[in-house]
Amino acid sequence: MSEIKLNTGVLPATNEPLRIAVRRMRWFKQAFQRFVEVTARDLGCTFEIDDVKLAAAFMRWLNAVEIQRPADKSERKAFFEFAAALVLRELTADLPLKATGPATLADSNSAAAFWPEGYCCTLFCLSVHAAAMEQEFHDQTALDPAIDDLRHWWSFKENTMQDTSFSSGFLQMLLGHQPNWMMPDVFRARIKSDLGAPPQN
Amino acid sequence: MSNHSFHRPDAMPLREALRGLRFVLRRGGEAIAETFDLDVLPKPASDFANVALREAGDFLRSVDEIASDVAKNLLGGSAISALPLQDIMEKPNARGDFAVAFYVALTTVLRHLGAAKVLVSEAAARAAFDRLSGRVSEETVENRAAQLTFCLLNARVMRGTTAQQAALVPGASLEAVSLFAVMLWLQAARSDEENEAALMAASDMAVALAPEISAAAAEKDVARIAALYKKYVSHV
Repeated sequence: MSEIKLNTGVLPATNEPLRIAVRRMRWFKQAFQRFVEVTARDLGCTFEIDDVKLAAAFMRWLNAVEIQRPADKSERKAFFEFAAALVLRELTADLPLKATGPATLADSNSAAAFWPEGYCCTLFCLSVHAAAMEQEFHDQTALDPAIDDLRHWWSFKENTMQDTSFSSGFLQMLLGHQPNWMMPDVFRARIKSDLGAPPQN
Repeated sequence: MSNHSFHRPDAMPLREALRGLRFVLRRGGEAIAETFDLDVLPKPASDFANVALREAGDFLRSVDEIASDVAKNLLGGSAISALPLQDIMEKPNARGDFAVAFYVALTTVLRHLGAAKVLVSEAAARAAFDRLSGRVSEETVENRAAQLTFCLLNARVMRGTTAQQAALVPGASLEAVSLFAVMLWLQAARSDEENEAALMAASDMAVALAPEISAAAAEKDVARIAALYKKYVSHV
């Protein structure tokens, strides 16, 4: 079982459902700042956040969600899951985070030590996703064992540098889904038996 | 006991004058410091000039501090209002309340964007609001906000924006982007506790939308600004 734990407790309290709050810049920014602060402490490193890049990523994500949101209500849960993958795509497209030193408290062979910024952004997306899924659908998020395999993180970093859509597939994989690696960031192109898609006629 | 009611004098013109004085003093001090290279003067002229400029600088600083303190402490206006635009517009003294809220919010946004030295005119904001009030009110909030945005741009509520090269937004876009941020924030639902965070969020969003805002402002496209407000107000 993975030693990587999601940290939903660090997310800011809100009177609104998380699915609403996460689409507000003020909550998203505060959540990201808190998550980064706690992760930095856990890893023994320092991160610098670029607010301009963070806001740009948030705005791109809003637009992506608006463009891809399905009209069919039966696909709501599947798209809900998929939306987290789009957040990671936008964060990794132009990282709003920079580690200013090595992760001194992380295992040298861990994903956190290998790529602190990518690790932090990924865990942020997974944690927000887990909190929202629990609140909205009473679902417990289980992480795929792939999260502990450093080779997947190597591949994640290398491929994302060339094609930012790759990170969408990576996040779906960590959530136990089979991504469509040809178009991992396109909801309509997802593998139909996955992500809670309705059965085909 | 007298039945006469006494109207509180309008402190806005005095605030405006003090802010203007502070702006001129700060700019003046910077200009003197940037203009003169005293090392090129022969002695003892350079020594005399150094002393004179140092004393002039001290004088400017002390007047600046007095003007700042009076404007801040005696005349108020530093708390960020949590009232949404719709509610402000329905108040009896809407023009005054709007201008105060607008001034405080805009100066906060400008500081956030790294352009703290821009002069904001509360009087011009009030005049812009008056111009909007004469128009048809049976419109959506975002349409009225967009119209008010252009009234504020036309009223030149900000002075000295072109000198702000170090800001997050280039000088040419600073006016439209910062006004957009304030107007977006004014329309957003927010609690007292979230008020400042919401203003910073609106400011970050406006920076991300800078190319679209600048293009719409340049084309005087009210509908486009209204559409941006409508699209993003629930995401502040």
